[in-house]
Amino acid sequence: ALRVVPSILSRQGMSKSQPLPPKEQTLFKRVLKCYEQKQFKNGLKFAKQILSNPKQSEHGETLAMKGLMLNALGKKDEAFDHARRGLKSDIRSHVCWHVYGLLQRADRKFDEAIKCYRNALKLDQENLQIMRDLSLLQVQMRDLEGYRETRYQLLQQRPAQRQSWIGYAVSYHLLKEYSMALSIIEQFSDTQMETLEYEKSELFLYQNMLLVESGQHQAAVDHLEKFESQVVDKISLLEAKGDLLMTLGRQSEAALVYRELLERNPENILYYRRLEEARQPATVEERLAIYAEQIEHRHSASLPRRLPLSFLTGEKFQGFLDAYMRRMLAKGAAPLFKLLKCLYSDAEKVQTIEQTALGFLESLATCEKFSPEDADSDIQPPTTELWTLHLIARHFCYLHQWEKALEYINRALEHTPTLVELYVVKGKIYKSAGDCQKAAECLNDGRMLDTADRYINCKCAKYMLQSDQVERAEELCSMFTREGSSAADTLNEMQCIWFERECALSYQRQGQWGKALQKCHEIERHFVEIFDDQFDFHTYCMRKMTLRSYVELLQVEDKLRSHPFYFDAARLAIEIYIRLYDKPLVAQHSVDDQLAEMSEQEKKKLLSKQRKAQKKAAHKQQVHSGQDKDGVKKDAKEKEVKQADSEKRESGKDQILLPEELETTKEPLEEALKFLRPLQTLVSGRVETHLLAYRIYCRKKKLLLMLQSVKRAAAIDQNHHELHEHIVDLALAVAASESLARPVSAILRTSLLALLDAPDVYEFNSQFRSTHAKSLPHLLSGTYRDRKQLLLCSERYTLVQVHSIYNCLYELSVESQNVRICCWG
Amino acid sequence: SRMIKSMAVAAAGRRTTDLGDVTPHNIRQLRTLNTVVFPVTYNDKFYKDVLELGELAKLAYFNDIVVGGVCCRVDTSQDKRRLYIMTLGCLRPYRRRGIGTVLLDHVFKVCKEDGKFDSIYLHVQVSNDEALSFYQKFGFNIKEKEDRYYKRIEPADAYVLEKDASELVSSQLVAC
Repeated sequence: ALRVVPSILSRQGMSKSQPLPPKEQTLFKRVLKCYEQKQFKNGLKFAKQILSNPKQSEHGETLAMKGLMLNALGKKDEAFDHARRGLKSDIRSHVCWHVYGLLQRADRKFDEAIKCYRNALKLDQENLQIMRDLSLLQVQMRDLEGYRETRYQLLQQRPAQRQSWIGYAVSYHLLKEYSMALSIIEQFSDTQMETLEYEKSELFLYQNMLLVESGQHQAAVDHLEKFESQVVDKISLLEAKGDLLMTLGRQSEAALVYRELLERNPENILYYRRLEEARQPATVEERLAIYAEQIEHRHSASLPRRLPLSFLTGEKFQGFLDAYMRRMLAKGAAPLFKLLKCLYSDAEKVQTIEQTALGFLESLATCEKFSPEDADSDIQPPTTELWTLHLIARHFCYLHQWEKALEYINRALEHTPTLVELYVVKGKIYKSAGDCQKAAECLNDGRMLDTADRYINCKCAKYMLQSDQVERAEELCSMFTREGSSAADTLNEMQCIWFERECALSYQRQGQWGKALQKCHEIERHFVEIFDDQFDFHTYCMRKMTLRSYVELLQVEDKLRSHPFYFDAARLAIEIYIRLYDKPLVAQHSVDDQLAEMSEQEKKKLLSKQRKAQKKAAHKQQVHSGQDKDGVKKDAKEKEVKQADSEKRESGKDQILLPEELETTKEPLEEALKFLRPLQTLVSGRVETHLLAYRIYCRKKKLLLMLQSVKRAAAIDQNHHELHEHIVDLALAVAASESLARPVSAILRTSLLALLDAPDVYEFNSQFRSTHAKSLPHLLSGTYRDRKQLLLCSERYTLVQVHSIYNCLYELSVESQNVRICCWG
Repeated sequence: SRMIKSMAVAAAGRRTTDLGDVTPHNIRQLRTLNTVVFPVTYNDKFYKDVLELGELAKLAYFNDIVVGGVCCRVDTSQDKRRLYIMTLGCLRPYRRRGIGTVLLDHVFKVCKEDGKFDSIYLHVQVSNDEALSFYQKFGFNIKEKEDRYYKRIEPADAYVLEKDASELVSSQLVAC
């Protein structure tokens, strides 16, 4: 969004091709001033005065300024109109090009904007403002070579400004040309420009960062030691030092640094890991000693009491665990289970935990002590028994022993029915066992106990969504969102992605494709916003000299869509689009044809439905433009800002997302591919990415791309059941296709041979089934293929064999899956 | 080992008791509490009125969990101005720890600060020996017996226990 008003005032000279008479010149100066001071309405008045003069009615620069101010007021189309007119009228004016570029940028047409800026620069080569705008756009679009060029020009123009130096150095850093970046920083430091203590400190650390990234570890350490006293961010200093010493093999010195870091913060797991690496303890005792030291030293630290549990075993583990659990249960620490969860991959430790907890419970229930041998001074309050019950219930829930888990949680609820956490656990048990409805009820019972608690409110909303009660969930969330707009809108504005994701999943389950897609697109837009939001930081970080954070920000933004939230939204959108491709929805106009044949009643129903949908869309538009009906209790100013802001956002969007439009799109596969591409670039390590890719490509009949996806998936997880289906599919497709070009078919056949590793597809399939006889998803994949083939060419498998496979499924003891096996008939 | 012993030393349980206000946000906790503690069920109107009681209604927290509560009202029957305790109770696992005392002390405090009450009184089911001995320890006396006071539980008779407001002196803390 155009939050900062870009400056146009660097060159107040009027256009050479369209000079203004003195009266209009004064007015124009006023226009520029109004713009700078954000007095857009006044500026427009002055512009109108200039243009009302018949000889100046098409004055290019005035029109351009008018367009700029209209855009700031949210009137995008008019703004563009004026800017274009201005440009047409005075094509040799750098102001017109600059303005047009600004508008393009605001409309997110970044490549166009860059072109405009370049044109503007051609006409006014030393215009700093245009250069700065261009550089910002270049770094935003990651046009790194262009950025460096522009930065160089800026440096030449303003060598006295420190931002010029810093920017130039950063541009080399981004291009990974470290030696240049370092030499520029050095030159800059030598110039002794005015810097605050903090800024100097940040600059040193940035230099260090460059040295480390370029691999000059020894130089980096020397540099740190030289400037240690001038660095104020001690923690970063120590962490960097520790890292470097470890890389250089100076273990004992590194160990000292990490001990010092632990003094500052005994709860940072990284320091313990590094300390272990540095000390290289040979025995368990030595390893334990590291933590023992911290426990003695810092009584309140909780991490050193927990970490040894992961490497201790047997009796030592038992003793340590016992002490740890006693401490946490007596404290009433609700997250105890979560803290122990990492141990659950070890079956023996799980047993120990269970035995210890159950032992405690029995003893607490009878004599109020953790163990009958405890001294009477260690008598526990009733809450200890309560939290022990709570822990045991979560334990059994995790192990999928539902009945036992319920037994214990009900005991806990009988003991103290006023504890909200118990309802959460009960809900979790029901949800894991498959009853989402009851789970949501339990959560709601807990929520009602404390309606001021936003955490339980959100958790309850989530469970409501997972049991497909979307309206109810929205109702709940509205208890904590701003009055005047719907909860869904507010949560969208706040980028509350978990809510949108759960809504999307729920709509998918209910078969409401359009609404689900709407949510997926909303999530996608958040990612666009998050990427756009970095724009202001290009200037801000340079000014504040927080260069390390700035560079890290750029790196994060580069990988933005690798976030699980995006993955979930993309996967969902792709699945839905594939379905819509396979089974398209009936479009609106064909319904109109049927209208004539419907009865009056049916017609009325349909029309009212359409009217409701239109009303909804109109209402949504209204809400977006901030004109709420129910009396809004806001400051007038705030409202104006919000209005302007949302309108600005709107002007950046292509259109409002309407479910009906989304689900009747003519190009579902193209839409799916849009979601897929970032996954292929950024999340190529997940097998699902490639499986989804395959499903799209096979519908587009792109055999080579199908093969690519299958190979990539196989490289990650050869035994994935869906992959097996795809390989068989591909093999059959290749066998069936006749008109393939020779090199293509050659590649396909050789690769398939490598993948199948068996004489033919059927053999491959049976091998797969026998290897994975104990896993239901694999069996289903293996069987499905057979069944399809049976229908097509009933020679390989007799009906008896097919039946036997189905029977096998029924009798099978499936490993850790709670699936109800339905008859395929 | 020594370290394990040192960890165990810190495992002594904490015990804190606090009073908190009854609000529209947590009224459900009071309701859940009363449903479990008392054989009598109170209706929606009761809980609606509780919200207007101010200091006359309190929740008792033990280690930050609601375990008890008290609800009183001003009673102007019999030409007297008396403080009537409608409910005072605590979850079973938390009894005999002084929570009832804290609740009753609060009632006494309210009575004293008001200064214009004649007495404090309440009903106790005739079979409830625990409650009888509790209140008698604090100077409540059995005034009379009301037959068939309760409509749906047995025994249906209740004692009326009363304590004169003038008897409230500065410190009323009696160890349980």
